[in-house]
Amino acid sequence: MHTLPFDTVLIANRGEIAARIIKTLRNLGLRSAIAYHEVDALTPAVSMADLAIPISGRTPVASYLDFAQIIAAARKAGAGALHPGYGLLSENAEFAKAVIEAGITFIGPAPEAIELMGDKIRARNFVQRNGFPVVPCAIEEDEPTTFVSRAQAVGFPLLVKPSAGGGGKGMRIVRDLSALEAAIEQARSEACRYFGDGRLYVERYLEIPRHIEVQVLGDAFGNLVHLFERECSVQRRFQKIIEETPSPALSPELRKRICEAAVGIARAAQYQNAGTVEFILSEGAFYFLEMNTRLQVEHPVTEMITGVDLIAEQVYAAAGRELSLSQSDIVPNGHAIELRLYAEAPERGYVPTTGKVLLLEFPDGVRIDSGVMQGQHITPAFDPMLAKIIVHAPSRIEAALKAHRAVRELVLLGCETNANLLARILADETFLGGQFHTGYLEENPHLAADNFATGLCAFLASAALLTRPVRASADAVPELHATLGSWRN
Amino acid sequence: MYHSFELDRVDHRLWLSTSQQGYRLHLRDQVIDPVAFTHHSESSGILTIAGESEPVRFAIEGDLIHLHIRGRTRVLRYNDPLRTFAPANDEIRPLTARAPMPGVVVAITVSPGQSVSAGMALMMVESMKLETIIRSPRDGIVDRIHVEQGDSFEHDAVLVTLSKEGR
Repeated sequence: MHTLPFDTVLIANRGEIAARIIKTLRNLGLRSAIAYHEVDALTPAVSMADLAIPISGRTPVASYLDFAQIIAAARKAGAGALHPGYGLLSENAEFAKAVIEAGITFIGPAPEAIELMGDKIRARNFVQRNGFPVVPCAIEEDEPTTFVSRAQAVGFPLLVKPSAGGGGKGMRIVRDLSALEAAIEQARSEACRYFGDGRLYVERYLEIPRHIEVQVLGDAFGNLVHLFERECSVQRRFQKIIEETPSPALSPELRKRICEAAVGIARAAQYQNAGTVEFILSEGAFYFLEMNTRLQVEHPVTEMITGVDLIAEQVYAAAGRELSLSQSDIVPNGHAIELRLYAEAPERGYVPTTGKVLLLEFPDGVRIDSGVMQGQHITPAFDPMLAKIIVHAPSRIEAALKAHRAVRELVLLGCETNANLLARILADETFLGGQFHTGYLEENPHLAADNFATGLCAFLASAALLTRPVRASADAVPELHATLGSWRN
Repeated sequence: MYHSFELDRVDHRLWLSTSQQGYRLHLRDQVIDPVAFTHHSESSGILTIAGESEPVRFAIEGDLIHLHIRGRTRVLRYNDPLRTFAPANDEIRPLTARAPMPGVVVAITVSPGQSVSAGMALMMVESMKLETIIRSPRDGIVDRIHVEQGDSFEHDAVLVTLSKEGR
């Protein structure tokens, strides 16, 4: 093995992904440095890093988005490379350019690829021009005066989306012409509010859609491989909560086609490093949705079935090495499921929750990628994801059973989480049967509801016995009275 | 004497009495005998209930009891009857209003310099999806308000300091 051209990597991220990156850097014999805001001082990544450099800003998120402070932290740490993680600055082409201009290796694709895929409309047109399937659509700015009639020509039902969007914000489903214009106006106002950009487009809304994505990996020599698909259809409000691989929806033939399409799209974009091509699968056909030019939250399921450390591959590719894997080397083994543990209350419309982690015990025998520690405060400053539980088993049903056991064994007290919901999904027949789509949780609202009657007596008994005044008032009653009490029964 | 615990906005009244092997749990429509709790550590133990043993993980934060039993997590709130019946003697009542549990300030209804009487509302706070009124522990004058609307606070944090009425 050659030595890498850098010995220290700055992590421009936080939470579980920062801790996950540090683990790989350690395995590679690299030093890890992290730039962190003080609200994260008590998190696993900050305590694990070889060097932790404080940054500040108007808000915690603003400090993690501050190019100048992050690049200064990298210099201070003597970092020759920077890993952006996911979210935050990971898909900001300007940031990638600034890192490269500072003489630091950016662990990710070239800024041109981030730019191409970062604009949904540009990406879609690029993919269509290269002969890959996209969802029929109409783009407002092509000819604003005819937008409504072109939208109608796409065919109902339609999905109205902001061009600058992400995370499901501002998206609306329209089922007939009468509702179209009102939906466009509402989507525009939301798009302006969330993204400061009111441009819209509409696309055909696919019924019973499944979200399937393909992991790809490329190097600077034009080598490109895929690491199979991930099924991410269990979502709440367009946010994934359970991911798995392989997808129960793909036949071997369809799997081969969708994975080859992903490699073809990445090749057309001359893509280097790790990336994910997302597709919508509907009634046996798949359509390009978008390409994420970074590591994904759900990358561990791919690692479990392929045995490949994706972050190590990212580091090697960024260092200019040729991929050590050829397509035939990548052989999937078994089934993996990831559960996202969120600080939120599904029982109350998924509102984010806060609190201090009073007790934290992770289950044994599974992979945990965690961004929380006991004693840490969960604040509303960031995304509510706390940790991920990843299981690997020979078959899908065994993986689901293992995941169900693990999520019930996980103890996190002090901040409400979605653990109870995850356990209910893993015991649900529709999920176990593999016949779900992205509207699964909306169609099954009973899954979000908790039944507080279950085990109620055990909770009340524990609460009573653990509350001193309750015990004290029993103890205060003279024994004679208590005995009389029992005689009366 | 009844005690009350709130779970998911529902009030559960119960009481314990001593029994041969521990306690007897009196619920609205049933009595469970015996119930006992054996501590294993400061955050774990075994609940014995109707002949069954259930491992319990717990954390107590003021009036909030966080429990994990059989894969389910629940938070119960103890409604302390003593808070409603504060001591009569002004001399032993505290000059501070403290947070009975962690939460967020929804609205402040008094201002510094204002005179208040025992039991008067000082602020509205929200915790575990419930709005709770923080009341003045005694007669006095609002000296300092330590939080602002929207602030979050820990259990037992001082929210308002009072001064004795000037003479």
